[in-house]
Parts: sequence; structure tokens; C-alpha cells
Amino acid sequence: MPILHTQLPAQEQSPDGKSSAVSPAVVLKERGPIVQVMVGIEQNIAQQLLAKGLSLPEPVAGVALIDTGATSTCIDVGIAQKLNLPVVDVVSVVSASHADTKQNVYPALIEVVGIAIKFNAFRAIGVPLAAQGIDVLIGRDLLQHCTIFYNGIVGSFTLSI
Amino acid sequence: MLEQELAFYEQNLENWLHQYADKFVLVKGEEMVGVYDTNEQALTAGASLFGLESYLIRRIEKVTEEIRLPALTLGLLYANPSHAIASPRTIA
Repeated sequence: MPILHTQLPAQEQSPDGKSSAVSPAVVLKERGPIVQVMVGIEQNIAQQLLAKGLSLPEPVAGVALIDTGATSTCIDVGIAQKLNLPVVDVVSVVSASHADTKQNVYPALIEVVGIAIKFNAFRAIGVPLAAQGIDVLIGRDLLQHCTIFYNGIVGSFTLSI
Repeated sequence: MLEQELAFYEQNLENWLHQYADKFVLVKGEEMVGVYDTNEQALTAGASLFGLESYLIRRIEKVTEEIRLPALTLGLLYANPSHAIASPRTIA
């Protein structure tokens, strides 16, 4: 069973330009549980394309935030377009503050860098994420296959599948 | 995107519910290409037939899937940071 244990280091910069270390607990509180990922074409689609002699686009590197509040996994719409992922549905995203929005659904493969954790996200929602410094939201549709332990006291988290 | 396929799905949903409830339908244009037990099977068929073109895959069910992304839709992914720390892209 692959287990990812992460504690994020970071630096902060004072107004006079000096850098100093930030405690992992502060980083985890502010950035949330983030992991480096590669986003590519969903495996079943990739196999079919290879069988036809077609080449696959290179996976795209990005940052994923584990979001236990999200029902569904999301990928940045720019990455979906860069990978030329097929649209396989259009869904309404419900919002408490404004009108529901229609978003495309893409099948994607999300691999956690440095460990053998791969998510076949059959129905990843394409949303604009990049402006917020993240590329993927890992939602409860994928987390239902995982265990996650969030240790806010020491600023670490553990993900396994 | 997928306007034709979605309209075709809505037109036929009532009939399909009787025959194929909880299965996954693959629709291209105004044609039902097939019905599958899993999303994975439907994707494989779609990719085999249409490559990277778009097509509709949806579970045949009365209730529409409800997507909730509260942190994103409320703009709260990184609300109220009290420290200016490095972007996650630059974290070693």
C-alpha cells in the first residue's frame, strides 16, 4: 500500500527582503494539504490511442490540493485543453453565493509525484484554478478510496490508497 | 459543448430508465452508441470509436449529479492568509 507522508517547508520574506523559515504547522494551515502531481490522459483512453498508433501528450506537472469539501475532483481547465482531453459530460456546479455554473467533465489520470499513487479520475470537472496557484482539487470521489491523516500540530499529513 | 448529446439524453431518459437504470450510456450526436455496466467500459468504448473527440457518458438515473465545491465557488481556497509565504510552486 503506497503511503505518502508530507511536511511542507517554506520561507517567508519580510518587507526588507530577508528570508526566514516558516514552521510546517503554519504552512499546512495556510496552504492546506497539497501534493505535487502529474496530470495526463486517463489510462483506458491512453491505451486505446496507443492501440491506434497515436501518440500521447506529455503529462502536465502541477499542484493538487486535497479538498474534503469538494464532492468531485477538479482540474484546471487550461490543463484539460493543453492535454486535448475529450469532454465527456457537462455538469452544474452548485454554489451558495451565485447561480449554478455549467462546467465540462474530463477523464484524466492524476499521479502523485514520487510515490505509486495514481487516480483514474473518470469525471474530473474542468474549472479555472491556475490563478489560485493550484492545478487540481482532489475531491471526495477519489478520497473515498483513500485514508488521510491530517496532523495540524506538527504540520504534516499522510495519504494512502 | 455536447448540446446535441445532452438534449438526446434528456429526450430518452424516461425510456432508458425502464431498461438500463444505473448503467452508463455512451452518446455521440443523436445516437446511443452503447450501454455499459461501468464508466470505465464506456470510456474505453468511446476512446476506441472516437479517439479524443468529445462524447457524452452519463449514468442513467433520475437524479442529476450534484457537484459541490464550496471552497472554490465561495473563493475560500486560500482565504485570510496571515503570512506571505512562498507559492507552492516554489516550495522545495
